[in-house]
Amino acid sequence: MSPLAQCAGVTRRFGQFTAVSDVDLVVEPGEIVGLLGANGAGKTTLIRMLLGLIGTSEGEVRLFGEPPSRRTRGRLGYVPQGLGLYDDLTLAENLAFTAAIFGSDPAALPAEIRPYAKDLVGRLPLGVQRRTAFAQALSHHPDLLILDEPTSGVDPLGRARLWETIAEAADAGAGVLVTTHYMEEAGECGRLVIMADGAVVAEGTADQIVGASQSVLVQARSWSSAFEALEDAGLQVALAGRGLRIPGADPARVLRALGDRPATVRQVPATLEERFFELVQQGSATGATA
Amino acid sequence: MWAMIVKEFRQVRRDRRTLAMMIVLPVLLLVVLGYAASFDVKTITVAASGPQAAIVSRQLKAPFDITVTAPGQGRAWAQNQLRDGKVEMAVVTGGSKPEVLIDGSQLFAARAALAALAALAHNGGGLPVTPNVTVLYNPGLTTSDIMIPGLCGVVLVFVGTIITSLGVVRERQSGTLEQLAVMPLRPADVFLGKIVPYFLVATVDLAIVLGVGIAIFGVPFRGSPAVFALGALLFLFVTLGFGVLISSVSQNQGQAIQLAMMTLLPQILLSGLIFPLTSIAAGVRWIAYFLPLTYFNQIARGVMLRAEPIGPLWQSFVFLGLLGVLVVTGATLRFRGYLAPAGREHGGPGGNKAVAHPQGASA
Amino acid sequence: MTGPAQWGASGIFVAYGKTVALADVSLSAPAGQVTAVVGGDGAGKTTLLRCLAGALAPDRGSVRRPPKERAGYLPASSGIYPDLTVTENLDFRATGYGMSRADARERAAAYLDRAGLAAAADRLAGQLSGGMRQKLAVIAAMLHQPELLVLDEPTTGVDPVSRSGLWWLIAHAAAQGCAVVLATTYLDDAERAASVLVLDAGIALASGTGEQIVAAMPGALREETARPADTTRAWRRGGRWRVWDPAGDAASVRPDLQDAVTVAALAAAAGQR
Repeated sequence: MSPLAQCAGVTRRFGQFTAVSDVDLVVEPGEIVGLLGANGAGKTTLIRMLLGLIGTSEGEVRLFGEPPSRRTRGRLGYVPQGLGLYDDLTLAENLAFTAAIFGSDPAALPAEIRPYAKDLVGRLPLGVQRRTAFAQALSHHPDLLILDEPTSGVDPLGRARLWETIAEAADAGAGVLVTTHYMEEAGECGRLVIMADGAVVAEGTADQIVGASQSVLVQARSWSSAFEALEDAGLQVALAGRGLRIPGADPARVLRALGDRPATVRQVPATLEERFFELVQQGSATGATA
Repeated sequence: MWAMIVKEFRQVRRDRRTLAMMIVLPVLLLVVLGYAASFDVKTITVAASGPQAAIVSRQLKAPFDITVTAPGQGRAWAQNQLRDGKVEMAVVTGGSKPEVLIDGSQLFAARAALAALAALAHNGGGLPVTPNVTVLYNPGLTTSDIMIPGLCGVVLVFVGTIITSLGVVRERQSGTLEQLAVMPLRPADVFLGKIVPYFLVATVDLAIVLGVGIAIFGVPFRGSPAVFALGALLFLFVTLGFGVLISSVSQNQGQAIQLAMMTLLPQILLSGLIFPLTSIAAGVRWIAYFLPLTYFNQIARGVMLRAEPIGPLWQSFVFLGLLGVLVVTGATLRFRGYLAPAGREHGGPGGNKAVAHPQGASA
Repeated sequence: MTGPAQWGASGIFVAYGKTVALADVSLSAPAGQVTAVVGGDGAGKTTLLRCLAGALAPDRGSVRRPPKERAGYLPASSGIYPDLTVTENLDFRATGYGMSRADARERAAAYLDRAGLAAAADRLAGQLSGGMRQKLAVIAAMLHQPELLVLDEPTTGVDPVSRSGLWWLIAHAAAQGCAVVLATTYLDDAERAASVLVLDAGIALASGTGEQIVAAMPGALREETARPADTTRAWRRGGRWRVWDPAGDAASVRPDLQDAVTVAALAAAAGQR
């Protein structure tokens, strides 16, 4: 089965600046691909190329086997970061508008948002707004969904519910490309693609990407004293509840830095976020990010 | 495409300010052009002095309207009547020939008076002896002489209202107003700190207009700079206060401009700046007396062209003073409402994100 | 440092007209610690933080906070002037809080450098990326070394790299003895904080350290591979379904903070029916 979306060797330059560099990306039917990256990593530019809003400098973008066009747009569902809803129209009016454009039946409103049908979108709570944006993107039964930070700002339960909708679409055969800043959602994706400085620096499941990376966990009686000592020793220290974590550090070095401060030090598996940070920093070694 | 049309209509229907502009504006223009836009002067107010004052008042018929007769008064009194803007023309009797003084700063009334006198002389009637006619204050009957004082007012309104409303709304738009609320600043600090730059800009603008007017267009400045300055100061308070008020009811700069334009347009059309007040039909003229620019125009023209002292101008000063107090108080109160934690903040929780939401679980 | 060791709020009640934003919420913000307020949009986080910062007076309840000069605040919309440069923004903040220009510049330089903003010192704040602007906003809020630092969603929408820079600034402030309160929708932020308050629709669902909240979770959690018939107490996670049994004790999976928070939200919703 041919992939729904395919980028092969895609590069995009703006003048001297290379936003996207030699990226290969594939989205197959039924899978959820998570796109992670710092701001300025090229995610937005890549998505815009997939949508057909801008062209490539090099390489090929294919949607449903052909270059992006008005026709492929009809099979695509897109939720931008800003939701793409009109604040001064009611929920029902927004959906009617999209349905008219895509030529689909005005979507039967999903049960959860039906009570809000006559409310102005601008006055709805964020969770309902996001549900509406989803309903809008799904109303014409697209084969490919592209979602840009679809759950930003929503509480954990609300996010889980939104992910149910995404998963249902994937189960029904659609392919989904999602960007997110929530590390906890990385686990919802079948596959992750991590970008830094315009290039793909890692690909795979969360476990595969973390691999054998480890961090050092320090639990000290006085965390601020330990924090300062470790900082002074030139280590990158992060808060972790009542303890401190130092990604990728040598436990012996940590012990030395702590001196005789009372503390327990042990190695623990790295989190996806720590591994992500490591990858991004390696990627940045070639040049400064925005 | 049909879908776009339907959507736009739905959005416009809800945008009350744009609707107001689309409907109110044509109506306003219609009213103005219908009733107000006229340079025709129908009556000319006249004061008569000297021993033959009573005779003269019977002899001068329409369009002249003798409003004051003062047999015991002389030329100086008559000139003061003109200077103080009480009448547009004065007839001084008692000399070998009657003397007619016309207020050149009332440009259209003066032209009408000259034309009427000439017509009466030609047709017989009017005064038996051809009087000496002198046009005071704007002998050349030039338009620029009366426009420049008016322009001073427009400049102050512009800077005062439009630019101030932009500057204050900007604070609301970028969410920094909230930050100001928690800093150790007094509301007065914030309010004045925001206003003072625009005050200075307006003053510089005014100086430029006056400078160019006097130096290049030869507009006279015969009266007291102190009186003018006081009038300008009061007027500026009013316009700056309006600017802040407009910003306090606007969510963004677009709305602020819309509202500012809606207050600016009537002032330019109805304050006597372009169309003389006396020409505006009475049914519409009352609006002018609620517009601050009307009063500043009177001050500016009176002081610059006729050296009018502050006494006769008391009505204008009082009106501007009272309005200034009212507007600035209103503006300060609204401003303080944003900066002081006591009391409810309208708009519900959240800055640019969340909105007041119905009870129940989120999502 | 003067004043009580504990800043915070007790029994806060705030309503906007008919809408209740906060109902009987209490929070303590000990010095030298980071306290996270977690909840979705509309939960009441911003309202609570505004009470703490002194930007809003609650209808009922009391707030213990230092005087304005000793507190720092980052509002939801950053509070940074987009048409001033980074340096100009910090200058304004410094003079507003009565710092000497020299002191402020020195401290700012150190923070900007560590946060990776040194090169952008003369760039207009409006031209910074979201993450950089938030870092600037946090620096601006802590520049005068406040005793209480209130940050409203500093990390929302910020990429993970900038987020770690933000957290360094926050850790540094706390290490210097400041009481930091931050609102967030990210649970990994909550896990970095020393204690957490979970809000939902204006009500405090849970509070304490991460471990305490997990330990206090009622009932038991099961994991199932197929979608259960009744999803009112179930949610999807990582491709499988988690089912919460309020009365049970047969657990097939150990809950983490995300589970505990989700369960708390479900329990609250059930309690309202």
